[in-house]
Amino acid sequence: MGFWLELAATGLITGGIYAVVAIGLNLQYGLMRIMNISHGEFLMLGAYFTWLAHTVLKVNPLVFVPVVAFVLFVLGLVVYRLCFRRIARTSPSVDVIEARSLLVSFGLMFLVQNAAYLAWGADLRGYSFLDQTVEVGSARFTANRLVVFAFALGASLVLIGILRYTLIGKAVRAMMQSPTGAQLVGIDTAVLHPTVFGAGLALAGVAGALLSMVYEISPAMGEPYTVTALIVITLGGLGSTVGALLGGLLLGVVEAFGMHFTSPSLKMLLSYGVFIAVLLARPKGLFAR
Amino acid sequence: MSLARILALVCGAGALLATLPWIASDFGLSLVLTCVMYAGLAVTWAMFSGATGYLSLATAAFFGIGAYVTAWGFGTLPYAIVVPLGGLAAAAFAVLVGAAILHLRGAYFAVLTFGLGELVRHAITYFEKSYAHTVGRVLTDVPESWIVYLTVLTIAMAAIAVSAAVRASRFGLALAGIGADEERAQTLGVNTRRAKIAGFALAAFFAGALGAAMAVRWTYIEPNSVFNPFIGFQTVLIAMVGGAHTLIGPLLSSVVFSMLTEFLRLQFPYAFLIVLGLLLIGLVLYLPGGLASIWPLVRARLAALRARSASLERGGAGG
Amino acid sequence: MAEPLLAAQGVSVRFGGLVAVDAVEFELGQGELVGVIGPNGAGKTTFFHVLSGVLAPTEGRLRIGGEDLTGRPAHVFALHGVARTFQTPRVFRDMTAEQNVRFGLEFAGRRRSHAHDAFDDARSILGFVGLGDAAALLAGALTPSRQRLLEIGMALGARPQILLLDEVAAGLTESEVEATAQLIRRVRDELGLGVIWIEHAVRALMNCVERVAVLHQGRKIADGLPQAVAQDPAVVEAYLGDSVA
Repeated sequence: MGFWLELAATGLITGGIYAVVAIGLNLQYGLMRIMNISHGEFLMLGAYFTWLAHTVLKVNPLVFVPVVAFVLFVLGLVVYRLCFRRIARTSPSVDVIEARSLLVSFGLMFLVQNAAYLAWGADLRGYSFLDQTVEVGSARFTANRLVVFAFALGASLVLIGILRYTLIGKAVRAMMQSPTGAQLVGIDTAVLHPTVFGAGLALAGVAGALLSMVYEISPAMGEPYTVTALIVITLGGLGSTVGALLGGLLLGVVEAFGMHFTSPSLKMLLSYGVFIAVLLARPKGLFAR
Repeated sequence: MSLARILALVCGAGALLATLPWIASDFGLSLVLTCVMYAGLAVTWAMFSGATGYLSLATAAFFGIGAYVTAWGFGTLPYAIVVPLGGLAAAAFAVLVGAAILHLRGAYFAVLTFGLGELVRHAITYFEKSYAHTVGRVLTDVPESWIVYLTVLTIAMAAIAVSAAVRASRFGLALAGIGADEERAQTLGVNTRRAKIAGFALAAFFAGALGAAMAVRWTYIEPNSVFNPFIGFQTVLIAMVGGAHTLIGPLLSSVVFSMLTEFLRLQFPYAFLIVLGLLLIGLVLYLPGGLASIWPLVRARLAALRARSASLERGGAGG
Repeated sequence: MAEPLLAAQGVSVRFGGLVAVDAVEFELGQGELVGVIGPNGAGKTTFFHVLSGVLAPTEGRLRIGGEDLTGRPAHVFALHGVARTFQTPRVFRDMTAEQNVRFGLEFAGRRRSHAHDAFDDARSILGFVGLGDAAALLAGALTPSRQRLLEIGMALGARPQILLLDEVAAGLTESEVEATAQLIRRVRDELGLGVIWIEHAVRALMNCVERVAVLHQGRKIADGLPQAVAQDPAVVEAYLGDSVA
């Protein structure tokens, strides 16, 4: 029994990370139709900043998470201003915005990843943090994984709360459903868009920071998360933050069990399989109304 | 330029380039080989993705599939068979994947094709470990470099010829219509699903064939080296720089980029890619039509200048 | 009685909880010129999406020329002779007017027989709609009113039996509206097509068509001669007292 619990919990923990990354991508794509294929690279940056802070400055990584969030938020503002604002302004249609932002972020992906290679080299890095074993019922976990899950879940819930209960959150949700309507009510997209974009990157960075506590890091670590985030968004229904959370957790669990019964190498095949199956059965996502 | 003329030019260029193994140095031949390979990749990428607007980032996956067909088949089958077989395998995969994801919006399609490289790499790693009990494969008795060169040259020339033929055909018109307004094209009778899958598979065929042909240059083939996202990136960049809606744009830019890559990539592997990344970003932001879009502007300017000078000569009458 | 060109039986379209089209019965006979009117949000364009195969109905069946095409993709409808225009002109902006019309001829129109010289090629179609002089111009460079004519030309390029026109007179001057109405009449009179015309410029439509259907909140509330429909109390109420005659 303990073994299955551990497996499910592993899945949930991975799923929690997926959820955080997916919520970030969802905000960017759902609001601005910016498909940021370099999203995972900022996860990687969050991981490296945390690793640096811990190994060089001896800062507790948990304490550093908000710092990572802030740094990546600011970075997001800069990236939006330099790379994406012009696209939003000069594109004749939404489809063109999507296509152009995709290509730009494709270039951004190579840029950021190779900057990381240049700065830190290709070797795996890591540090140990909270790796004592903890017993919960009949299952045993390393403490850092539990902490990561708690933080990921917490971050997701905080964001859901912001979107539901604050004015700015409601503005974002309104815009995601009807861009023109919201503009008529006086919401300033010139401020909102970079803010949301920055928030998305901040979430990716937080996910990376959390990951660095458990796993080893490398410049290429971010890539698979972008694809997975897209799959999660599709599972949960585009624009739905709760859907992204539930979809992420679900995918994590499905992957954990699937990998156990087949092989870890088939993880991507599993996710794609799930993706296609869901698309066929419920094209609008599992949790769409 | 008419299709017949383009094909004649392709044949002529092909014949000229075919003499290279006997007059160029090893390094020179290798350089031209890379050029020719990217020309084939970029032109067929533009044929589908440039026309329809469905940005495929799957080139690396198709290339790798072709390479692995060679890895598995070479030895039992002759080179001349594994190469088209690699193309067919990639095309079959494209049909499968395309049927599943080509009805999605462009952004989803692009990200999912990007993940295909990872997916196929993992799947092949698993297969090799579990069934073949090996990590990589060694190729022995590989064909000589001039045979490899001529094979790649033939595939690339065929790719360019096919691309030109498609652009002049009804099929190419369908693809262009899909790119301009897919729903409109549907209401005018285009079976968009079939056209997209066919275009996707055609581009995949050439990427796979090129991968199968190039694979013999590696003595040791393993998934990590063969499924290299850089190939996909380079292909897209070349096509975009040249102008994804044209035939000649990707051709010319593939020459420039292959040379840059050969000279710079080994020296400054990371810095080079950073610059390329910046280049793609700058291009999409400021010159989305690629260099080919400059040409009509230049032509218009020249025409305007000529008109001005002609009217000046006439003494400004009516000018 | 001859098989109607087009028959919609109990067609409903639901988006989640919203009912856009509600159990509409509609028929178009050979060579009929029918108008469809209704207040904003009545479901007219959604109904057109169903008739052209762009949208599959949630309920109901669609027969074109006697054949049940419910749920088939839009290009199958086009191959069976249904052609349409859209509310905002959707032309291929980077192609010339001639290429735009030729597109339909290359695909839907390719294997369809045509009874009239006007359908011979792109030039003759352009001449028919009054764009003979614009053949070599880029579609994106045409004025909006000419783009509307081009859209009609593109639809004719598909050599259809049925032409669905969605608010082709929107934004036009009085004289342009009149010219458009005359063109539509000619399409029916000279080319023998069945035409369904959605319009807000109700007056011009009522003077032109021989039958009118009225949609309101997704339901068909009237279907008959223009004069009769104009005086139908349900129709008057739907338009909240706006004059329709």
